Amino acid sequence: MAETHVKQPNYVGVFIILAVLTLIEIGVSVYVNLPLALRPPVLLALAVVKASLVALYYMHLRFDRRIFAALFVVPVLAAAAFIFAITR
Amino acid sequence: MTMAPMEGTDTRKIAVWLFIASEVIFFSGLIASYVLYRGRVPKPEHALNVTLVGVNTFVLIFSSLMMVRALAAIQRDDQRGLRLNLLLTALFGLLFLSGQAYEFSSLFREGITPSASLWGSAFFTLTGFHGAHVFVGILWILTVLAKAALGHYSATNNIAVESVGLYWHFVDIVWIMLFTIIYLLP
Repeated sequence: MAETHVKQPNYVGVFIILAVLTLIEIGVSVYVNLPLALRPPVLLALAVVKASLVALYYMHLRFDRRIFAALFVVPVLAAAAFIFAITR
Repeated sequence: MTMAPMEGTDTRKIAVWLFIASEVIFFSGLIASYVLYRGRVPKPEHALNVTLVGVNTFVLIFSSLMMVRALAAIQRDDQRGLRLNLLLTALFGLLFLSGQAYEFSSLFREGITPSASLWGSAFFTLTGFHGAHVFVGILWILTVLAKAALGHYSATNNIAVESVGLYWHFVDIVWIMLFTIIYLLP
């Protein structure tokens, strides 16, 4: 689109980071003997980093207009609060 | 005069983001019910094949890379790159669905079905709806691919490619969260 100049980040580099993070997740979950209480925060943090990389670079939220980021982040925070409230 | 936040923004793109926002809320309900039920009945750890699902996760992330490369291609007017990468995205999406179909049939053989337990009901509803989203995504990609083959898109006219890409990456993000919540968390 002429309205926004889309920068093109290193998409392959982002993929490699996503792949390595996935390997770390599987490693932490299956092979590393983390204390049970530490597992959810560590694994969820890794997943959130991966999801953020996809949103920032593949969905271009890092470079696009802020309004799109707001349209995405607000419902995501609402959803996270909802899931936390209903399941704790 | 200050500019309104949406002024000059393509309304079709706003529509796609609003649709994605509604999808976030849709999946949050399913995830909440899965997490709630999981706490009440034990998860059948033995039946879950983390290796298979891990490979499937790579497949879906790789398809996202192909999708973003399709958009990058048409942004520099590379028609062949657009078609090739859209085709690869759809193929890797199909590969993901095949993996999921294999996983479901293995679970069925273990007696784990949507009606057999509370866990099964929550699991199949959540992963089934995600799979349905992948399926819809593949159909959408093939529609865009057909138009791409007819030369519909260019460096200045590619909002349809960007839109299907946003949807596809969102479905990828949902899977990234589901993989952790269902398969990795204790």
